[in-house]
Amino acid sequence: MAVAEHLLRRTAAEPRKGMERSFAAEVDKLRLGAGEVFHGEAILAVTKALLQAGVAYVGGYPGAPVSHLMDVLADAREAVLEPMGVHFEASASEAAAAALLGASIHYPLRGAVTWKSIVGTNVASDALSNLASAGVTGGALIIVGEDYGEGASVIQERTHAFALKSSMPLLDPRYHMPRLVELTEQAFELSEACHLPVILSLRIRAAHMTGSFVCKDNRPPPYNRLHPFPEARFDYGRIVLPPSTYAQEKAKFEARLPAARRFILEHGINEHHPGDGGRIGVILQGGLWGVTLRGLRRLGAADAYGRTPLPLLVLNAVHPLVPEQIAEFLRGKDHVLVVEEGNPPFIEEQVRALAQREGIAVRVWGKDVLPMAGEYTADVVRRGLARWLAEAAPAGAGREAGTREAAIEAAVAQARKALDGPMPPRPPGFCTGCPERPLFTALKLLMRERGPIHVSSDIGCNTFATLPPFNLGSTVLGYGLSLASGGAVGPALGQPTVAVMGDGGFWHNGLVSGAANAHWNRLDAVLVILENGYASATGQQHVPSTGATPWGEPVRLSIEQTLRGMGVRWIRRVDAYDVPATLEVLREALDARGQGLRVVISDQECRLARERRERRTRAQAIAEGRTVTLARFGVDTEVCTGDHSCMRLSGCPALTLRPAADPLKDGPTAMVGADCVGCGLCGSAAHAAALCPSFYQARRIVHPRPWRRWRARAAERILAWMGAS
Amino acid sequence: MNGSPELRPLCVVIGALGGQGGGVLADWLVEAARLAGYPAQATSIPGVAQRTGATTYYFELLPASEPEGEPVFSLYPSEGEVDVVLALEPTEAGRALERGWIGPDTVVITTSERVYSTAEKVIAGDGTVRPRPILEALQAAAGRLIHVDTRGAGRQLNAMMLGALVGAEVLPLDPEQARAAIRARGIAVESNLAGLERGLEAARAPAPPPADPEPVLDPPPPGLDGALAAFPEPLRPLLGHALARLVDYQDRAWAARYLERLRPVVEAERAAGGEAQGWPVSRETARRLAAWMSHEDVIRVAQLKTRPGRLARIRAETGAGDGDVVIVRDYLKPGRRELSALLPPGLAGLVWRPGRPSGGLALRLPTTSPAGWALLRLLAALRPLRSWSAGFRAEQAQTARWLAAVQAALAVDPALARDVAEAAVWARGYGDVRERGLAELGRLLEDFERRLAEDPAGLREAVAASLHRARHDPDAACAAGAAA
Repeated sequence: MAVAEHLLRRTAAEPRKGMERSFAAEVDKLRLGAGEVFHGEAILAVTKALLQAGVAYVGGYPGAPVSHLMDVLADAREAVLEPMGVHFEASASEAAAAALLGASIHYPLRGAVTWKSIVGTNVASDALSNLASAGVTGGALIIVGEDYGEGASVIQERTHAFALKSSMPLLDPRYHMPRLVELTEQAFELSEACHLPVILSLRIRAAHMTGSFVCKDNRPPPYNRLHPFPEARFDYGRIVLPPSTYAQEKAKFEARLPAARRFILEHGINEHHPGDGGRIGVILQGGLWGVTLRGLRRLGAADAYGRTPLPLLVLNAVHPLVPEQIAEFLRGKDHVLVVEEGNPPFIEEQVRALAQREGIAVRVWGKDVLPMAGEYTADVVRRGLARWLAEAAPAGAGREAGTREAAIEAAVAQARKALDGPMPPRPPGFCTGCPERPLFTALKLLMRERGPIHVSSDIGCNTFATLPPFNLGSTVLGYGLSLASGGAVGPALGQPTVAVMGDGGFWHNGLVSGAANAHWNRLDAVLVILENGYASATGQQHVPSTGATPWGEPVRLSIEQTLRGMGVRWIRRVDAYDVPATLEVLREALDARGQGLRVVISDQECRLARERRERRTRAQAIAEGRTVTLARFGVDTEVCTGDHSCMRLSGCPALTLRPAADPLKDGPTAMVGADCVGCGLCGSAAHAAALCPSFYQARRIVHPRPWRRWRARAAERILAWMGAS
Repeated sequence: MNGSPELRPLCVVIGALGGQGGGVLADWLVEAARLAGYPAQATSIPGVAQRTGATTYYFELLPASEPEGEPVFSLYPSEGEVDVVLALEPTEAGRALERGWIGPDTVVITTSERVYSTAEKVIAGDGTVRPRPILEALQAAAGRLIHVDTRGAGRQLNAMMLGALVGAEVLPLDPEQARAAIRARGIAVESNLAGLERGLEAARAPAPPPADPEPVLDPPPPGLDGALAAFPEPLRPLLGHALARLVDYQDRAWAARYLERLRPVVEAERAAGGEAQGWPVSRETARRLAAWMSHEDVIRVAQLKTRPGRLARIRAETGAGDGDVVIVRDYLKPGRRELSALLPPGLAGLVWRPGRPSGGLALRLPTTSPAGWALLRLLAALRPLRSWSAGFRAEQAQTARWLAAVQAALAVDPALARDVAEAAVWARGYGDVRERGLAELGRLLEDFERRLAEDPAGLREAVAASLHRARHDPDAACAAGAAA
């Protein structure tokens, strides 16, 4: 009954308001002119470099650590991009972003796109292969956020293999802000010189690095909406059908890559530091400059300004390598260490092969002293350098390095001894008041009723449900792929599977690869779409169903109408915070066997976005004396028994512990912190699971209407008479 | 090699949780360094910063106002070369120590206010890590420990920590530059400046490490202290607290009954030489028995929810001003089981039998309304009838079985007896949780004396496994039930 009413009330979701955040300060930085000094984060500096390089169009898909580039450009669209005639697109996926670069195939237009790698590059790889084969006229730049190592949220693979297989130059810049800006600008020239798209890889920490550089004026693109290119072009040679493809493949290796190598050499993309010209040296990825020089200084082989007796070859371009440059570096050396993060060790193997081919008697070191896998942090690289120096360096230097390393490690081991036990892990989780959390509360309760159910998880905030306290989601196969990944599981288990997907995932790939595929194949499956209005995991970027474009134009695509248009009939919309109702709809969905795909849309706006907007309007309303109701939850300490059932069904950061003062309690009792936003999950879960009567909701009405205040006063007097005060 | 071999960047690790403002703190540092004219760099891993996970910021500053060139900054802290660890939560300082960032030259500046992690919260019982041992470890490992008392800091937390960092005088930054940085960033300037001053003061006079919270023992109700004299002296404070609870729960006769039930256990432990060990079995039994005998049934919940002063406390929690109205709704869902427990045995069976779904009536009771309050008062007023109810009788029978098992075990194996006493932990919670727990305890005590005689090792193992489940996997019983 409650469910039916609920459905009546919300057959169509209200569009979100959007535009909660503002990047006005960042937009101002994009307008700096020649001679002015930029101070800020690297990812914003790269964005500025695009404008200085005369970029004609920009697109991309959000993902840490490059979301900021898209966010700022969306805000800068009106003030900066439009007057310059720069086209900006919030691409629907990385594949769409990569395809956008098609504009540079025939036309002298510089374009840049961005996404999170490796996952985004995987999605984009179809377009990238075709683009690299066809070749480009205008400079095409792909800025990838290399999400590798600590803080990464994706599979640990590097982008390098994509660059190799499609013959795209790959820049891994040294993290020094002016150099980074310069390399970004040069990347367009490199692309135009070799007719290949160029990838610029930015590591997570590097993207958020602060620094400064002296700006140039922004350069409007020569051709744009204000000055259109004179004609549309056709050239079969750019089509990826035979015989063009054969010619394109030949061109890659006979003309394009050689041209790239020439450019890299002639424009000093890589940096050679001759040091004292001794017989040992280091070849390193540009991105590992900081950790390598830090390691050398700690081991007594460099100073704070990076001055070192050791010859260094810093590869800001890690593909293609320039054989003559490497051979020159190797000649006359006995030992060369290649510091290369990730696997396979493409650079190390190429250097080794080159030495052998050129007959240079040098021992090439790399993954034998450095770890095979994992991020090359300052400590990891220093330990590897110490091991290498001990073997390769002249006796004195090697010994000193060994002594210093031993002292560092001994001191750390000694300090660690002070600690008694391990610190509790603290992975990210759903925010306070997150409307995705209640679904997993309901799923957990459902499994208590029905036993284990196979849940296919997706990419997005919903992946956090795989962590405690929910431990829900058996597989993650990719963005928007949860439904598809359960296709063969359902029949094998003899039960319908449940796939969870965010609205971001739905529009990214879930619509076709998930819903269309399942509906067409008549799969016995339940799809739960968490419609919170944004790509929340990456910072509340707008998605097609948000209600507005990232720059505020009202456009709304409806998930429900889209599915109905495809012929999906079993669709229920449910208030995300209502656990009993969600539970009931899930039961119905699981039991509707033989009805093909069942879709449950769990509907509530991303709380972070909503709070950001409402905090302002609430404060304003209170200041103006209007009636405002603020709700929060609480726990009666005396009633709580401390068994924490509620926490095992919630994981809300605001639902936390208070040390028990009562010696009869078994442990700390529950409490609701001041950060509670009153979403109601704890109360709703207490009801759905018949948990415990400790929870209460306290609604504070600020500036109540006079009759409301009068009624409350009267009630207070009666309660006082009944012993409440 | 050129340059001064001693010159190196000063390195600061900031350990924070998403939402604590670590990013703004790092921004202030960058701005203050710029104003002071030192080369500096900050970075972060804030990709998941909003979501309460551990978030690390890292800052380096070259203490040379006229540098000879471009310094090489690292994006990573490294072992043995972190000058300051600034932690906005004490386990994040502990984590920095785990990661090798704290050594004899490191200054550690930390708060001691715990923000509990999910891993700690999901434990049934106490799974929390206390701040004091961490602070002691930091004291032992670090060069200097500055403990900042941040109670009540609220949104000023990050500004306060900036103040403590500047006040620690490790970086060549002075308070005026920090103030200027806060003004330049332009966010909540006045509040943050106030926080900064508090932090500067905290660095001048670091707070002593916090004391672990001590349990508060109520005194025995007047007139019952005579009855306590028959019990060993070390147990008396706990027993006094228990008596006070039971008088409040029911009446003096009920409190007297408690001592009567406990006495045989104490005697048995005396016979087993428990006095020398400090009465571990009696202590555990006394605690669990008191909790069980005052378990929160519908009557008790109504009593607690209508305590004088409760609504005023909640009103204060909301921060309501004089003119505001506060409405409290209690989330109650009495099931058939709870309601039947109020009825006499004959009638109760008509409402609910063990093993049946309990269902329940989901109420959002408006306790601030006269009707809501009156209903709770009415339920609380059923207290004198409690001993007539079916629920009461069932619980008493099970309590007696448990006490008998404790006594039986005491004669054979005091360590086992203590574990059996602790097993009463299963008599906790409400609704399904309580039902599941009591069922588990029932299985554990079934045929206890025979198993104790025939297979004491097997019994010990079963009790230990059950205690482990009670703490780490208390919901498993229901999953198993569902599968069956």
